[in-house]
Amino acid sequence: MAPLRSDTGAPAGEAVAVRYAHVISVVVVVIVAVWHFGYDSLILVRSWSRYEPAWVALASWLVLSVVQLVGSVLLLRSGLRGRLAPLLSSVALLAGVAAVATYPGGEAIGDISWAANTVGWFGVLLLMQRPMRELVALLACTIAMTTVALGVSGDLDTPVTWSRLIAQSYTTAGIQLAFVLLARELHHAARLTTGAARAQADRMARRAAEEARHVERRRRYRYLRDRIAPLLHDLAEGRAHPGDDTVQRSSAIEATRLRRLFAETEDAAHPLLHELRACADVAERRDVNVTFVCYGELPDVPVAVRRQLTEGPLLALASAKTSARVTVVVTAGEIAVSVVADASASAAPRLVRSAGTSVLFDEKENLLWLESRWPVPGPRSTSASSTTTRW
Amino acid sequence: MARTGTTFDVGIVDDHPVVIDGVRAWLAEEPSVRVGHTGDTTADLRSHTVDVLIVDLNLNGRLVLSDIGELAAEGRRLVVFSQSTDESLVMDVLDMGVAGFVTKSEGQAHLLHAVRAAAADRPYVPPTTAGVLVSDRNPVAPQLSPQERTSLLWWFQSMSKASVARRMGVSVHTVDMYIKRARVKYAQVGRAAPTKTDMLARAIEDGLVTPAELADSAEWTPSA
Repeated sequence: MAPLRSDTGAPAGEAVAVRYAHVISVVVVVIVAVWHFGYDSLILVRSWSRYEPAWVALASWLVLSVVQLVGSVLLLRSGLRGRLAPLLSSVALLAGVAAVATYPGGEAIGDISWAANTVGWFGVLLLMQRPMRELVALLACTIAMTTVALGVSGDLDTPVTWSRLIAQSYTTAGIQLAFVLLARELHHAARLTTGAARAQADRMARRAAEEARHVERRRRYRYLRDRIAPLLHDLAEGRAHPGDDTVQRSSAIEATRLRRLFAETEDAAHPLLHELRACADVAERRDVNVTFVCYGELPDVPVAVRRQLTEGPLLALASAKTSARVTVVVTAGEIAVSVVADASASAAPRLVRSAGTSVLFDEKENLLWLESRWPVPGPRSTSASSTTTRW
Repeated sequence: MARTGTTFDVGIVDDHPVVIDGVRAWLAEEPSVRVGHTGDTTADLRSHTVDVLIVDLNLNGRLVLSDIGELAAEGRRLVVFSQSTDESLVMDVLDMGVAGFVTKSEGQAHLLHAVRAAAADRPYVPPTTAGVLVSDRNPVAPQLSPQERTSLLWWFQSMSKASVARRMGVSVHTVDMYIKRARVKYAQVGRAAPTKTDMLARAIEDGLVTPAELADSAEWTPSA
C-alpha cells in the first residue's frame, strides 16, 4: 500500500485534509482491485464456457484490467482531476458493454454477469474527484446496459425481472453512489476542520501580536509619564524656565530619548544604527554637525542591549554644542559605539556610567569622548574558529 | 627617488578641476612638494615620472580600480583621494599596494601627511582607514596586538592622537608607532607589490619593526 505522506510542506491542518483524501483513494483502489482481480476473475473462469464468444469476455476483462491499473496509479498521484478521467471511464464503459454482450440470453442479472457492477466501481475510482454528474451518468449507463441486455433477450415483461433489476441497481450503483457521497462529505469535513484550525491559529497569533503591542505601548506611556510629564509640568507651572541651561539640556535629552523610543518600534535592517541615527537626527535639528560612520558587520543586538549601548551616546549627543562624531565599529569580539562631541566639561560627570561605558573629557582639546562597548556573545567566536579551521 | 628632505614631484589625477586646484593649493603649503602633473585620466601617465600620484577612484563616471592596481604593480607610489568611505573599497585599494587612502572629508592635513609619508615609503593611516583596518574580519588579516587595535579604534573614534595618547596613558609618539606598525603588518598580506616591499624595508630601516616581528605576525596562519 502506498505510504501516507503528509510532509507536503503545507501547514498542519492542510496535511490532515490531504491525508483524508489519500486514505479514501487507497480504500477505493483496494476495493476495485479486489473486485476486479478477485470476484470478476473467479466468475469468468467458472463460467468460461458459457460466454458467447469467450474471447470477447476475456478481452473486456483485460481492457478493464489496464484501465484499472492506470486509473489506480493516477488516483494515488492525484492525476485524475482532468479530462483523462472521463476518457478512461468511457473506455471502461465500452469494455463493459462488450462483456455484457457475451452473456447468454436472460443472464444479464445472474451467476455469470460481472461487468455492470465492475464498471460502476471503476466509475467510483475514476470520477471521484470529478463533478458528481459524470459519475451519475456513468452509473445510469451501467443500469441501462443491464436493462437493454434484459430487453434484448425478452425478459423485461415479467415483474420479477423488474424487481430483480431494481434490487440489483440498488445494491450496486446505489452503494457506489453512496460511497462517493460519503467520501466527498468526509473530505469536505476535513477541509472545514483545517480551515477552522488555521483561523484559530491566526486569531491566536493576532492576539499575541496585539498583546505585545499593548505592552510596548504601556512601556512607552510609562516612560512619558515618568520622565517627560514632570518636565512639562514644571515648565507649565513656572517652576522651570526655558532659558535655564539645565532645563534646556534636560529637554534635549528627553527629546532624544523620545526619538529613540519611537525608533525602537520601527522596522529597520540595523536597529542599532537606526536608533543611533535617530539620536543624531535630534542633535542635527539643534544645528549640531553630526558625522556618522559605521564599520564592520553588525550582529543582532537585543533591544535591552541596544538601549544600554545608545544611552551614553544619546546623552553625549544631547550635550554636543556644534559638532559630534558618532562611530560604530564591529570587530570579531565586540561592538564599540563612540561619540566625540564639543560638549562642556560639566556634562561629562553626569553621563550615565552604565556597564561597558567609559567617558573621557579631554580638557586640552575641549572634547567629550564617550565609548560604549558590548561583547558580542557566543556564535561570533565559534564562527571565527570555524573560519580558522578552513585554512 | 626622493626619500628624505629634498623636494619631490606630485601628480594629481581627478576629473573635477576644482579638486585639482584645491589639492594644488593645499600642497602649496608644503615647500618640499612640486606639482609635476595634473590630469583627469590615468591613461597618459606613462610619460610622466612623479614621485607620488594623488588619484581619485572615480574618474569620469568610471571606477578605475584596475588602473590603480596596474600603477601600483609598476611600483608607483599612490595616494587615493576619494569621496568613498566604503570599507571593502579601502581594503581592496590597500591590498593592491596603494600607500594611503584619504577620504575627501578628511581634508588637507591628512592628505599632506599621506603624501609626505608615501614619498618616503612610510605608512600613514588616516582615521577612516584605521576604522576599516580595526573592523577587518578577513581570515587572512594579520594579527594585531591589543595596543595596535586600541590605537586604531580610538584614533578612528576621536581623530585626535593626543586624546588617544592621554586615554591610553602613553605618548603620542607611541600611539603613532602602534598605528604605523598595524599598517605595516597589512603591507605584508595579500598580493605582492613593489610599494609594499619598499614600505616594509623602510619600516625595518626606521626600527618600527624587526624582521623577526614581521615573521611572527605572519605566523598567524594556524598551521598546527
